[in-house]
Amino acid sequence: MEIFVTGIGAISCIGNNVQEHFDTLIAERSGIKKGSHPHSERFLVGEVPLTNEELIDRFQLKINGSRTGLLGCVAAKEAFSGHLLREDIRTGVISGTSVGGMDVSEIQYRSYMNNGTHDISKYKEHSSGNSSEEIALELGIDGFVNTISTACSSAANAIMMGARMIRSGALDRVIVGGTDALSEFTISGFRSLMIFDEEWCRPFDESRKGLNLGEGAGFIVIESAASIEKSGSTSLARLKGWSNASDAYHQTASSPDGYGATLSISEAMKVANLKPEDIDYINAHGTATPNNDLSESKAIMQVFGEQIPPFSSTKAFTGHTLAAAGGLEAVFSVLAIQHGYLFANLNHRNAIEETKLVPVTRTTKVETIRNVLSNSFGFGGNNSTIILGEL
Amino acid sequence: MSAVITSIVSIGHQDSFGKENIWETLQPLGTQSEVVAPDYKTYISPASLRRFSPVLRMALTAAQVCQNETVLPFDAISVGTSLGCLKDTERFLQTFITATGDTLSPTAFIQSTHNTIAGAISMALGNHSYNMTHTQNSLSFETALIDGLLCIQEGKKSVLVGAADEAIEFLELLKPQVIQSAFPFTSGATFLSLQPEGNGTKKAVMDCSVHFNNTNTEEAIATFLKNNQVDSDTIELVLFAGEIPRTIGAKQVNYEQYTGLYYSSAAFACHLATDYALSKEKYILIVNHQVNGKLGLTLIR
Repeated sequence: MEIFVTGIGAISCIGNNVQEHFDTLIAERSGIKKGSHPHSERFLVGEVPLTNEELIDRFQLKINGSRTGLLGCVAAKEAFSGHLLREDIRTGVISGTSVGGMDVSEIQYRSYMNNGTHDISKYKEHSSGNSSEEIALELGIDGFVNTISTACSSAANAIMMGARMIRSGALDRVIVGGTDALSEFTISGFRSLMIFDEEWCRPFDESRKGLNLGEGAGFIVIESAASIEKSGSTSLARLKGWSNASDAYHQTASSPDGYGATLSISEAMKVANLKPEDIDYINAHGTATPNNDLSESKAIMQVFGEQIPPFSSTKAFTGHTLAAAGGLEAVFSVLAIQHGYLFANLNHRNAIEETKLVPVTRTTKVETIRNVLSNSFGFGGNNSTIILGEL
Repeated sequence: MSAVITSIVSIGHQDSFGKENIWETLQPLGTQSEVVAPDYKTYISPASLRRFSPVLRMALTAAQVCQNETVLPFDAISVGTSLGCLKDTERFLQTFITATGDTLSPTAFIQSTHNTIAGAISMALGNHSYNMTHTQNSLSFETALIDGLLCIQEGKKSVLVGAADEAIEFLELLKPQVIQSAFPFTSGATFLSLQPEGNGTKKAVMDCSVHFNNTNTEEAIATFLKNNQVDSDTIELVLFAGEIPRTIGAKQVNYEQYTGLYYSSAAFACHLATDYALSKEKYILIVNHQVNGKLGLTLIR
């Protein structure tokens, strides 16, 4: 069964909507800069430059929840704009998030620890499941709601779950993607792991030292052909392949040989029924940590051999938006196919010595992009790949 | 969408671990009950055991026993958790809030993500297959189960589905303002092996569905049964949480009196259903209405 993408939505430090993202990707302008909050000012981060109140106001949100929920509502609303709810189109929301409403809880919990007072009612925003239920509420969807929480691969897995639900006949149309707000919890967590780069991150560069964090949300609407017949939606691309595999190596590090990543890439190509030469662009996970980029490079080399397609990581634009990354990058993949662009891997100077792989360093117009393979790898050895293609 | 349950293991406040039939030792919980823990050393390495929080210990042990009882290695793992690894989450909050120096211990952070549970299982079992973590408040087990049934429908031969949640003292502070329940917060993990129909000696999950804006439980149940071509007269037992219509099923049992309060306890109800001596041609319905408006329905044969 063919699955079509009929809507895209995005918010991150490089744009409040899809068009702004596209313009910034073409202009090769990173959104990563010195943080503006007490917990982020010591780091280079990709913050959405709008307060929660500004988000609610500007995007006329009905929901007033966690920042994770709000960012999700903005992107999902854009993706779903122009779509109508109908009784005969079973519509669901499947969203990924890593920490859900932690941005709210951590403020209350700090107050509770420091002086024993906190606003108990705020904790109702805490659970990860709430952010997805808020998105469904914002869009008026009362069908299936599902939250995936597999750290940095959450959005890719949400997209995969949506595709499988459509293919099984359980749903006709699903808004899929992910959302994560920057929280002190997350920043402290990555700080404790010592995988921050104090400078701008340099994916796939020999000198890479670590990642810059970001926040945002990316969603796509996927539909079956039968659903499109009723909805009259315009297809932008096809969702052709997906896979998830487990590295089973280490809780936070990837295996040196990229075994789990190799499995997920090759299985997604099998699902899409595509050969290596059919892939025209790889939007890599490319977090710029020494470990990820080497492991991912090896996986790409194992699957593609000598003929490695143009590849890049867009993390140097947005920062690593964690559970939202796979959603934002699915949107970028659709843009690549629609407009024929390979997006720049910013800040790249020298190839990793061990692999010699050189990513696309400038945003480049090409004649046609038939299929884009997008990787998302998370803690727990959770490796996911999706493939988007032309119609 | 249906699959047979070939193995099911629970660890929680009931004395359920390693029991042939968990109904035999079932006791309504008092207000001060604790997890009846098995000897974790048998299942978890000493190094891991030192690091692992209760939810990881419970889940990993239950999953390990399921794999021991299942000939085929799992070709998919789907875990549901409503609040994830709360103990390590709280521990890491405390770590960075009270931190003075420049370095923080990462252990609690590493073990705080929801998919630490499923990830640790994949590592312990050396399992490279599909590995998913669902979190959907009171319907976390059901969404994980739906994924597991989907895996079987797609041709997978051996699927591990589980649910795990742990209580921390802090949760009680949320009552009654954020959480209303007469039951004390508890911890629990239930894991089960699913296989395609035809392999079963125990029971089968016929279907599972979730409803997010439920206003009429009776109607939702009627539609669910009709979709599965099951006559309401053949429901011998209803295992329920929350308020449900009293007219459904020949017998109704509130499972929360045995599990206490955690938001993936419907998995334990699934274990109760698996061990129940059911008459021929009859069915068990699990009605999870723990939270108003959210409804999970699971049909067992």
